[in-house]
Amino acid sequence: MDEVTRQKATPNEVDRALAHLDPDAGRPSNVVDVRSLSLQFGAKTVISDVTIPFERGTITALIGPTGSGKSTFLRTLNRMNDRVVGFRHEGEVLLDNESIWSSSQDLLSLRRRVGMLFQRPNPFPMSIKDNVVAGVKAHGIAKGRELDVVAETRLREVGLWNAVKDRLNDSPYRLSGGQQQLLCLARALAVGPEVLLLDEPTSALDPLSTEAVENLLRTLVPALTLIVVTHNLGQARRVSDRTMFFYEGRLVEHGPTPALFESPRDPDTARYVNGLMG
Amino acid sequence: MTVPSTPRSATPVARDPRATGVRRHRREDRAWRIGGRLATILPIVGFAFVMIVLAVKAWPAFRVSGLGFITHSAWQPGNTYGGTQRVHGVLIPQGATYGAWPMLLGTLQTSAIALLVALPISIGTAFALTERLPKWLSAPLGFFVEILAGVPSVIIGLWGVLVLGPFLSRDVYPIVANHLPNVPVLRYFRGSVGYGEGLLTSGLVLGLMIVPVIASTTRDLFLQVPPLPKEGALALGMTDAEVARRVTIPWVRSGIIGATVLGLGRALGETIAVAMVSGSVLGTVAPNVYGTMTTIAATIVTQLDSAATDGTGFAVATLAEAGLVLAIISVVVNLLARTIVRRAGRMAAPVGRA
Ligand SMILES: Nc1ncnc2c1ncn2[C@@H]1O[C@H](COP(=O)(O)OP(=O)(O)OP(=O)(O)O)[C@@H](O)[C@H]1O
Ligand SMILES: [Mg+2]
Repeated sequence: MDEVTRQKATPNEVDRALAHLDPDAGRPSNVVDVRSLSLQFGAKTVISDVTIPFERGTITALIGPTGSGKSTFLRTLNRMNDRVVGFRHEGEVLLDNESIWSSSQDLLSLRRRVGMLFQRPNPFPMSIKDNVVAGVKAHGIAKGRELDVVAETRLREVGLWNAVKDRLNDSPYRLSGGQQQLLCLARALAVGPEVLLLDEPTSALDPLSTEAVENLLRTLVPALTLIVVTHNLGQARRVSDRTMFFYEGRLVEHGPTPALFESPRDPDTARYVNGLMG
Repeated sequence: MTVPSTPRSATPVARDPRATGVRRHRREDRAWRIGGRLATILPIVGFAFVMIVLAVKAWPAFRVSGLGFITHSAWQPGNTYGGTQRVHGVLIPQGATYGAWPMLLGTLQTSAIALLVALPISIGTAFALTERLPKWLSAPLGFFVEILAGVPSVIIGLWGVLVLGPFLSRDVYPIVANHLPNVPVLRYFRGSVGYGEGLLTSGLVLGLMIVPVIASTTRDLFLQVPPLPKEGALALGMTDAEVARRVTIPWVRSGIIGATVLGLGRALGETIAVAMVSGSVLGTVAPNVYGTMTTIAATIVTQLDSAATDGTGFAVATLAEAGLVLAIISVVVNLLARTIVRRAGRMAAPVGRA
């Protein structure tokens, strides 16, 4: 019998081998890259000259006082603002190195890749199960009996399966607010997004539901990249890797969450994270 | 086990029913309750009264022909100036016989066509008014729909018989009639197209008349749909059409059904416009979709004068019976709609939610 001699793989070979395992290999490490972005509604500038990369597989929190442009910034990333009358943008938003406004970018598949969860739960007027698979059906990702599997998988993923498995065909509006929000999360996850935008996802929920959603968000990385707008500074500290502080349309400061909260460089940031600003 | 007794009232003054404020409240409460009950009962009483009067008037005719009235087709007033005969104890003109089947069928057919035409147009219009068009365009369009709702039916009937009917029978119907294959259902659209008065023209005119009814209600319903679920659907990568089909319309489905029933009620009961464009032919079922015919409502209004010349009163009793049939159809339609609404309501969102 031959002696098996094991040779060490060169770093290059490791990379190549891993490339087959890691679907993200070869892609830019910044899944979303915002460059010199300015946003206006009519004559009013809501976001001025923001440049910020979002690293793949991380959670970024967007904080800032009310009216500072957080929602506007977030809703631009999946082009929800495009149809707002008077909306204009300068600068670029790159998704995997391609501009989200480039002509080769299909709006519908862009929104499939960049999902969104809203401030209040917004289930569709259809059964619980149909809610989960609504996007899957629209994109033709699955059909027939596969839909049942998708529904179960996603409901399990958000921890809702046991609560709703006996009433999949019932109206979603009889679920509690927290359950409805989890349902909407399941619906957003079902189409397999790469990025998930969350605009104050727990502001309408009680503390327990909030905790459930927060815990869930941590399980979604590094498979997904999350960008979360929140007024809840505790939430930002608990869930996010990085934090961005917006003030009057400017990105005043950003950095690793602990650093930004414990040793803010900017006086406005310091006032805000210490609860001294509105 | 003993239940600890608690003092029944800590503040006796506030609990005293003779305190004037409380008493006035009680009296107002009662007035509201009684008023509310009256308001619910009055329409029912009124409707029952109408039905009873109709039934009494129709009774002789019902005794003569029984249920055969709605299955037979002949429509003969008999010899109004000649002899009379007695059938089942009722005095009727010699040779008089009435069957309402063709007009009953005509009523259902024209209303069905009207709905098929009006529903998509109305929903499309409502969408145009609420979702897609800029304000400077949607405002006049909304105004136009409201104006159309106010046009008297005799004007629409006149337009139908002078403009629409001739145009359709000359430029549209022949193309359809000559190109459709000879297969079931479509066969009904082949053959002679006539001169523009008939079943299809009536249905189309009725459809036009009920578009404003359905469209204006549907527009108001769409305006009530909150933006958040629609945004959710867009953010999921749905097209506008998918958002409409999966979110907006289902959100107000029961309201749309209600609006449709309102329109259907108008189509079933429309008299003068149908009398003008249907050809007003009694006693025969239209051979194809272009054929002349009539409806119950149109018959009642066009035949009332000559019926009054029937000295035995049989002709008038017959028209009353026809009216009763129409009233029953309307009630059945309403009940059906209610059932559908209850079904649709199972998934519906509470209005104003989200
Ligand atoms: N559709 C619009 N048209 C005009 N101005 C708008 C529109 N949407 C937002 N704005 C303005 O843009 C500014 C930023 O609003 P935005 O909703 O982004 O703030 P925010 O940081 O999300 O606030 P909040 O914390 O209260 O949600 C506000 O002054 C707002 O009035
Ligand atoms: Mg906001």
